[in-house]
Amino acid sequence: MTDATPVWELRNVSKAFPGVQAVAGVSLVFTPGEIHALVGENGSGKSTLVKMLAGVHRPDSGEILFEGQPLLLADPTAARAHGVATIYQEFSLVPTLTVAENVFMGRLPRTATGLVNWRMIRAQAVAVLDRLGIAVDPDAIVRSLSVAEQQLVEIAKAISSESNLLIMDEPTTALALSETRRLHDLIRRLAERGRSILYISHRLNEIVGLAHRVTVIKDGRLVGTRPAAEISLTAIVRMMIGTDVKDHYPKEQHASTEPLLEVRDLRTGSGVNGVSFTVHRGEVLGLGGMIGAGRTEIGRALFGADPATGSMKLAGRPVRFNSPRDAVAAGVALIPENRKSEGLFFNFSGVPNVTVSRLGALLRGPLLSLRREQRLGREQFRELRIDPAAEWKSVRFLSGGNQQKVVIARWLFSRARLLILDEPTQGIDVGAKLEVYRLINTLTARGLGVILISSDYPELLAMSDRVAIVREGRIIDIAQRGRLTEYSLIAAASGTRG
Amino acid sequence: MRTRVFRLLTVSIVGPLAALTLSSLVIALSTDRFLDVRNLQNLSLQVSIIALIAVGSTLVILTGGIDLSPGSQVAVLTMLLATFVKFQHQPLSVAIPEIVLIGGGLGLVNGILVAYGRIPSFIVTLGTLTAYKGWAFLFNNGSPIFSVSDQLEPIFYGTWLGVPRPLYYVVILYLIAFIFLNYTIPGRAIYSVGGNEVAARLSGINVARARLLAFTLAGCTAGLAGVLMTARLNSGSPNYGAGFELQAIGAAVIGGASLAGGYGNILSTLLGALTIVVVQNGLNLNDVPTSWQQIVLGFIIVFAVGVDSWRLQIGALARRVLPAAVLRWSRAAPVGQAVAPTGRSEREVPEITGPRKEE
Repeated sequence: MTDATPVWELRNVSKAFPGVQAVAGVSLVFTPGEIHALVGENGSGKSTLVKMLAGVHRPDSGEILFEGQPLLLADPTAARAHGVATIYQEFSLVPTLTVAENVFMGRLPRTATGLVNWRMIRAQAVAVLDRLGIAVDPDAIVRSLSVAEQQLVEIAKAISSESNLLIMDEPTTALALSETRRLHDLIRRLAERGRSILYISHRLNEIVGLAHRVTVIKDGRLVGTRPAAEISLTAIVRMMIGTDVKDHYPKEQHASTEPLLEVRDLRTGSGVNGVSFTVHRGEVLGLGGMIGAGRTEIGRALFGADPATGSMKLAGRPVRFNSPRDAVAAGVALIPENRKSEGLFFNFSGVPNVTVSRLGALLRGPLLSLRREQRLGREQFRELRIDPAAEWKSVRFLSGGNQQKVVIARWLFSRARLLILDEPTQGIDVGAKLEVYRLINTLTARGLGVILISSDYPELLAMSDRVAIVREGRIIDIAQRGRLTEYSLIAAASGTRG
Repeated sequence: MRTRVFRLLTVSIVGPLAALTLSSLVIALSTDRFLDVRNLQNLSLQVSIIALIAVGSTLVILTGGIDLSPGSQVAVLTMLLATFVKFQHQPLSVAIPEIVLIGGGLGLVNGILVAYGRIPSFIVTLGTLTAYKGWAFLFNNGSPIFSVSDQLEPIFYGTWLGVPRPLYYVVILYLIAFIFLNYTIPGRAIYSVGGNEVAARLSGINVARARLLAFTLAGCTAGLAGVLMTARLNSGSPNYGAGFELQAIGAAVIGGASLAGGYGNILSTLLGALTIVVVQNGLNLNDVPTSWQQIVLGFIIVFAVGVDSWRLQIGALARRVLPAAVLRWSRAAPVGQAVAPTGRSEREVPEITGPRKEE
């Protein structure tokens, strides 16, 4: 199991993207029959590592060895041809085709006349699904399946082709416990048949029972690889957190005891299962949890972007938002995770991007005063230290940090009372992050309430006055600032405790 | 302030202006009849109807939609106007506003289906293109109505201070549209929706209402065009207006509007309309058969859409060929929202501009 010669080996690979060293000098060995777990916090470089093995990214330096020979994986097709089967977090199924067609996508067997051999496809699909113990009709249209079923089909697709290395990136996120168990049985059987398996999961307790070896990476660097039998959960979490000097967070405390937003029993079809909490004026309430735990969904429901049930009071008055427009009118703002596709108007320079939510302030008589708009916009840019070029340049050409500040400026300008920030510092550099933290201070100093959703746990812990831990659409705990450590947050959010 | 208006006016006007100048130049060299005063007056009459419809097409295109139905709207509206005036003896002072309002109603139907029915505008207006045309045939047993009223012709053929009247309508409508788009909240909403629908919704903009408004106003401009068409020929016919939609869309696109929405300048649309009519006129004067004119026009419009798609490559080419001063001037970026489509090639020419100085 462990002494076999490696099928695949990463030797000292590195990969950088503009502004971030995603992977730095990582070496890993994959032997046949071994289940190798890879863990690390969000953004630690796991996905980049996987994508290098899958041929999506090419390492900047270092080499990938296949059966001891250095190999250049030019593209995903080359990786597949060498036996790397990858299951990504995002689905790669065609929703309008059947399960069987998806399983054999790109390699449909033909008959002697060159037509598609449907009988063979169906027979093989049935065989594959049976072997995996997946109770899904091979003729079902993928779109009609549940997310969990789609996940299983995704797995069937990946392992139906010949492979020696099977990579699974968070395969159980959408699965219920029983389905997870079945998947794990399947993984064990595949390993017994000599396949090497790279398994990535946030659910640490899963890994302990499944993996043979555990590798922890942090900030793109290898922290260590240990046999699973010799390592405890606590040790894994400690390795994930590391003992680095903490970043500096300029947290100011402005929280009052005056309730701003009171939420009772919020539920949505998108997976929020009865959430209650209160945000006070000047307070930052952090939402912590794993990706897919339901934090973004809570934010969207509060903003009226998704239909929800439950009751909400804003500044003591009951409110109900049927659309984002209602929420904006009441002074609630959402800064979406994906600022490029959901936050910014690339056809505008910075100024109209800032004023768009309160154009009424620019009216002089029936017409907009562009002069006043320009002046007010420039004031915002100065105050938030936004690149002055934003005054005339399309926001498309601003840096990520400046783009984020433009979006925040919009809600300052529109005098929002409550701001929901979804991953506000994702993909921006350290300096710009600091600026965003200062902005959060500015907001709370003015008495705004902030709901901060962040997967950057040190940031979340440092910038929040209280942190609500979200798991499976519920708030399982709300902790005061300082009462929570990164360790206890990860433990609670990943379900390793209790 | 001075620089601001200057900028608004110059935004994205360079390309269309070059297209118009170039085509005029070529035609003027090919025939000396082009610059004849009579021909120029004739040109202004020809451009007026397309120019009016093109205002509506531009509004719809700015929201990211498309309107294929104005030609059929014109057909119905000429029949309605002829019926109102000739058979029901309504005075023009009543009938004309009615026609504009009914035009708005036709646009409203498109708008409701697109904004609230969430059916793609291409399909909705392709359907109403046929439906409105069919409706036009329901009047007068489907026959044209001739000799509507003696009072109609001066509306189209009259002059004021020696300038054909339709030119005044065009200038006034474009001024109104310019102010609407650049200086009102609904105008800004139209640009926002076309620029990023999701961001617009999350910013509290009523996306459906902006769409509805664009289609309704487009219907009103078709109403104005229907009145002019009836006046021009003193008749109504179910066959009038065929092909206007393509010329109007062409005018917007040649004027630099992006079919993806959010980018475009109403004044450039006027230049686009002029370009189309000038080219047609030039082909006429050079005795090119109508069939060939249509082939040429079709490809010009396809090419203009291509220019929108190839903008980045063109920007790179321009940087190599044009002097920096020209680029800098043509890139004068917007204060309001009327962002130059050339702005999208900013990535290609970042070195030659520093932050602009105001004050």
